[in-house]
Amino acid sequence: MSTAINIIEKVPFFGRMFKLEDNELNAVNAWPSLMAMTSFIWFFIAAVLGLTMPAIQFLDLGSNWYYQNITLHGAAMAFPFAFQLMVGMSLHRAGACLGKRADGLLVSLFYIFMNLGALLLTVAVLAGFHVTYTVMFPLPVVGVATGQWSMWVLVLGFSGIALVLTSMIFIYPIKILRMSFFEKKDENLQLAERSLKDPGMVGMIMGVLVLLVTGTPLMITATPLLLHLYGLLPAAWIAWAADPVVFEFVFYIFAHNLMEAMAIMVIGAVYATLPLCLADGARKLYSDKIANLALWILLVTSLTSFFHHFFTMYPALPATFVYHGNIMSYATAIGGALTIFTILATIWKHGIVATPALMLILGGFVMYILDGVSAIIISNVAWNFQLHGTMWAGGHAMVVLIAISALWMGMLYYHYPLMTNRVIDDSIARKSIKYFFLSYIGLFYSFAAAGAAGMPRRNAAWETEWYIYGALILIFGFMLLYAFVLYFLSLTKSKEIGY
Amino acid sequence: MIDFLYTNGWGAFIVMLLLQIPFLIVFFSVVNKKAFVDSEPSRTEPGKYSFARYSWLVIVVVAFFAINITSIKYMPTIIDANAASEDVTEVNVKARSWLYEISNKTYKVGETVRFIAESVDTVHSFAVYHPNGKLLFTMMLVPGAGTQSALTHTFTEPGEYKVRCLEYCGVAHHAMKNTLTVVN
Repeated sequence: MSTAINIIEKVPFFGRMFKLEDNELNAVNAWPSLMAMTSFIWFFIAAVLGLTMPAIQFLDLGSNWYYQNITLHGAAMAFPFAFQLMVGMSLHRAGACLGKRADGLLVSLFYIFMNLGALLLTVAVLAGFHVTYTVMFPLPVVGVATGQWSMWVLVLGFSGIALVLTSMIFIYPIKILRMSFFEKKDENLQLAERSLKDPGMVGMIMGVLVLLVTGTPLMITATPLLLHLYGLLPAAWIAWAADPVVFEFVFYIFAHNLMEAMAIMVIGAVYATLPLCLADGARKLYSDKIANLALWILLVTSLTSFFHHFFTMYPALPATFVYHGNIMSYATAIGGALTIFTILATIWKHGIVATPALMLILGGFVMYILDGVSAIIISNVAWNFQLHGTMWAGGHAMVVLIAISALWMGMLYYHYPLMTNRVIDDSIARKSIKYFFLSYIGLFYSFAAAGAAGMPRRNAAWETEWYIYGALILIFGFMLLYAFVLYFLSLTKSKEIGY
Repeated sequence: MIDFLYTNGWGAFIVMLLLQIPFLIVFFSVVNKKAFVDSEPSRTEPGKYSFARYSWLVIVVVAFFAINITSIKYMPTIIDANAASEDVTEVNVKARSWLYEISNKTYKVGETVRFIAESVDTVHSFAVYHPNGKLLFTMMLVPGAGTQSALTHTFTEPGEYKVRCLEYCGVAHHAMKNTLTVVN
């Protein structure tokens, strides 16, 4: 029996979502299921931590706890939850569409590196390493110098981050590229044949290439720092990497494009799934060419739009890069507009069957577009000077992860019968989607309004006039957690096909 | 009206709504019709899809050009250029965990001030709030950037203006504050 199935069987509650039979399809089902299950465990921990943040403010429980929870919440949501869920689903899709095995050394290494790295980072954060999920270099080093945390905590935290980044930047992209172009095909595993020209597959390959290309400079910069911390390289050799400007830029080139890669990949997955849910059984998009064009525009324009993270450094960031970042950020919206058109034209032309899977996917797409509008607003130079560093920016990062997660969770609904030979509980799923969407809308506009009112993000001392936004975020946060619990229940209460 | 839209976070919020609401209406109308009212394939002529596609792209491109061209006046380079002919007071700001050293903290109404700021340890920001709570501007300060961050602002109303750090800078980040005073 597969190691992955063994682990799933031993996990209470969450393991019940992915009861797998031991059969020949485990090569495309077992590890993706384990990753999805593990990502949900991380989500649950992260969600509880997220809800404690407004509570800490209302009960005045202290800034240390607040900064600890904001670091853990952000790191867990972004990496072992959202990213791991995406990896699990994309490995299953790649395996089942191309007839390639979604297991083996690279897959298990990804799982170990991602989760072990996240655990090490968690221990470091609990020991005082309160740097937020964006690291804020050189804060980790300055924190040691100013006595905020100790050197061993820094080494532990950086070791965890290094494992997580290695899994995301190298292991996962290499596995997808190997599956796409090199590994041996097994006809028995090819459950829904797709070619590499299909928009769904194009999006996946673009996504992993973005991770590999934009992440490598970060790894080249971060590795000497880590080796210095381990005592293997002298300080003089790593001074170039420790320069805050160097690190901040390579970090945001990756971090910005990580979100873009996740978005490109998930839009590709929407392009792949929507045709399978059409009322007339046409099984095709309105236009594959326009769909692919949209993906290429998103890819090319998003690569250099990361400059919008640095507009407010002006004039330390030269005006030419400021304008470039502004223009490229808005150009991504052209790709977004073509995507909206393709999806609506497909729905209009063929009609749709409103399954929970498709409704969650379309809901997630709406969330993604709403968030995209808020992102291009803050990418305008004039507005950026009034919104950067506020809850508008913090909310954008949070809700884009919710939107992407919703899309992948919709994909999971769609692929669930194939993965587990079970069907989800339809009525609970529909209820979950309703609360999911309502809570998203509530959270999205609460964060944006807080940002418009000038409320700072990552700030442990809320002024009285900001409490209303905190209260709204708390209420809608509880609603979102309820939606997730319903989602989990729709899986645990699934029924075997044929019964 | 244009001034409000581009110099206020709520202006950004309004423009965001203006872009989102039509999308929500159209998207949900189409999904509702083709999922629940009439999921039969539509017999729309191919030419109408092309017309809709080009019209939609034109609307998007025009909206984005309009938003960005109108905003040029409010970009820091243009504000700097406009202030070049005025009498500008230069104020130096040095940020460190968790305090600001500000060379001059009192200004007169109508005075144009150029804040030249830098950080000496980790990433900080220098964000100035109007007495009514509105965020006027924020400057990101990355140590070792080579060039200091700089921004020009004309104070038009008297009062106590709060200064806050908006870039997370450690366990006392929330305590990194200061005050500027504008007098008649």
